[in-house]
Amino acid sequence: MTSARGWEAERRRSFLCGLVPALAVLTLVTLGPVLYLTVSSLTPLNPTIPGSGWDFSQPWRNYTAALGDTRFLLSVWIQVKLSVVTVIGQLGIGLGLALLLDTNSRFMEAIRTGFLLPMVLPPIVVAVVWKIIFTPDISPMHRMLEWVGLPIHSLLANGDTALWAIAAADTWEWFPFTMLMMLAALQMVPKEPLEAAAIDGASRTQTFWYVRLPYIRHTLAVTALFRLIDSIKAFPLIYVLTDGGPGRATEVTNYYAFVQTFNFSYWGYGSAVATLLIAGVLVLSWIILRAGGHGAGGEHA
Amino acid sequence: MATKINRRLMLAGAAGGLVAGTTKAPAQGGRKRLDGVTLNVSCWNSTYPKLLTDYIPEFEAATGAKVNYETPSFPIYNQRMDVELSTGSSAYDVVNVTFIYAGRWVGSGWVTPLDEFIKDPAKTPAGWDAGDFLSGSTAAFKDKKGQLCAIPWIADIFMAGASRYDLIQKEGLKLPDTFAEVETMAKAVHKKSGVPAFVSENHYGWTFIPWLQGMGGNVFRAPPDDLMPTLDSPEAIAAADLFGKLIREYGPDGAVSMSYEQVLAMLKQGRVTYSPNNETFLAQMAQKEAKAAATCAFSMFPKGPAGRFPGVAAHGWGIPTGSKQKDAAWEFIAWAMSKELGTRMFTEKKYSSVTRRSIIESPSFKDSLNLNGFDVAKIYLDSIEQAGRGYMAYRTVPVYPQIDREIDSAIQSVISQQKTAAEAMKAAQQNALAEIKRAGVKL
Repeated sequence: MTSARGWEAERRRSFLCGLVPALAVLTLVTLGPVLYLTVSSLTPLNPTIPGSGWDFSQPWRNYTAALGDTRFLLSVWIQVKLSVVTVIGQLGIGLGLALLLDTNSRFMEAIRTGFLLPMVLPPIVVAVVWKIIFTPDISPMHRMLEWVGLPIHSLLANGDTALWAIAAADTWEWFPFTMLMMLAALQMVPKEPLEAAAIDGASRTQTFWYVRLPYIRHTLAVTALFRLIDSIKAFPLIYVLTDGGPGRATEVTNYYAFVQTFNFSYWGYGSAVATLLIAGVLVLSWIILRAGGHGAGGEHA
Repeated sequence: MATKINRRLMLAGAAGGLVAGTTKAPAQGGRKRLDGVTLNVSCWNSTYPKLLTDYIPEFEAATGAKVNYETPSFPIYNQRMDVELSTGSSAYDVVNVTFIYAGRWVGSGWVTPLDEFIKDPAKTPAGWDAGDFLSGSTAAFKDKKGQLCAIPWIADIFMAGASRYDLIQKEGLKLPDTFAEVETMAKAVHKKSGVPAFVSENHYGWTFIPWLQGMGGNVFRAPPDDLMPTLDSPEAIAAADLFGKLIREYGPDGAVSMSYEQVLAMLKQGRVTYSPNNETFLAQMAQKEAKAAATCAFSMFPKGPAGRFPGVAAHGWGIPTGSKQKDAAWEFIAWAMSKELGTRMFTEKKYSSVTRRSIIESPSFKDSLNLNGFDVAKIYLDSIEQAGRGYMAYRTVPVYPQIDREIDSAIQSVISQQKTAAEAMKAAQQNALAEIKRAGVKL
């Protein structure tokens, strides 16, 4: 027994020795920048002011300033609206299409592949495509609407519609991801409960609600989490389509952090905004995972 | 060291674009005086820096120096150089002093005053003539003692142009010379033949200011010394109201967010009638391939109740204070900005945004900027002379990049009717005050 335990300990040590270099690199690559960001957020770091990166005399000044900064608070509200709409839109469209495409015919496979196209395009290309769609004098969408007698004004030039135009573009870009995740989850649903539901005379809606949905709930939560985190990174679309405008109608928090850091050289303040953003994402992730059942042990219905 | 221009150097200058008159003789024994010297030179990517690439081998051949030359994009260049200069780095020997950063870089003493080089006959030949540079192009590069810290390679001016002058003439009108005439013209021609009347690019921190100043307002009370913002003055509100109305009511759909590329494309294709804009863009309407080549027209930027304030933006070559090769760096600048090379770049490459009066006033220059019968060379020169009055000082104060964004946002809000002109400009004033205080500027 003693020698077996010794062998076991030796094995664990060997595994640990093998893992340590990879873990060290991973920690350096992932946690290092976050740590630097957090430390920078405690200083008034500004590359034009020598020594500002080491000034920790008022470590909370950036956070205090952010909480009293109406522009920052507005950017958070805009971010919330954009994230909620895009995540719900992508989950709804993705799940709907996945339910429609959840068969094994070759035709459906071809359609699935076609739907993946927006997701594999580089984000900047997606932004350019939508720039064309939203620019009235060259837009096929505007011409078509005019042709059918329903002309509309530029969506990006209107403070009431610009954010929803970006949400539409973001939803188009990322619904394939949710569709793929949902499709994979749906195909993992065992046949027996579906057959039992059919024998019991359950309608399609009842089957979805009481059989399929409980099985895919965790995947749905994880997908929502991924999309939520990604929605906060909708930078290329905003950069190309609106530059945060008109006015500040589309200035989300990460864009605000970018402007503060790279346009105004307030690196310390920009770091604080980014740190708050990370903290917000972590809290939201925890809430979503709890709601999705992961935190409670992940039981299936 | 006394100036000696020997035969070898003259030949090198003749072959190479003039290292010529600049400076010292080559070393004896076949060695060139900058043998072994490596100069690191950086400028943002634009027409002039690209054209200069073709001439740099001539400088290297004539002096023996090796030039590492890079031209990153505008935002990348500015971010990088802001850090390099602020840390006193010696990584670069010759850099572009960007107009909008001139206040910060020159005011902080991050670039070397060039007067000692210019005045030293051992370093600069008499014929080089620093006084030949237009005062409007050098104003932004002077420090508090009046010393010149960069030599301007471009002065771009804000003027006005019609892509469809025929439509204006059809209404019995001429090119507008006042703000009131712009409004009258816009009202008269808008959507006649389906063409919108007015457009302006979406960088309102640049395009709105001539309207603001023309109305009698300004960004700050008395820049660069008194930086109290004055964005909520009655003049500023009136200017925002007029400018917003012109774009909203007489512009193409989506005009509020049109970049300069979009505006330029519309102008070249004759899809908008009139636009105040930069000379470098408007002049392209007269290119052979442009649909507007036969219908384009040009004028100075119109005047408002307080007068005419055409914007002028200049960029210049400077030497970082951290550079350890300042003499060699100056030799490069003196060569790049010599009359000889400037003339060659204009005649050989058609580069027209020049800053030397002697070139601008030359007959060949005037001929080349006679566009569709309009004397754009005169408009160019007159506009730069106007800027010599000092009204561009607002743009070179260190805190302007922040205020620039506030103005962008305010004007967009007015055009898109999210706010009235008064609401938008009052909000801009409050935000500008906050930004200025945050930047540590004492009011």
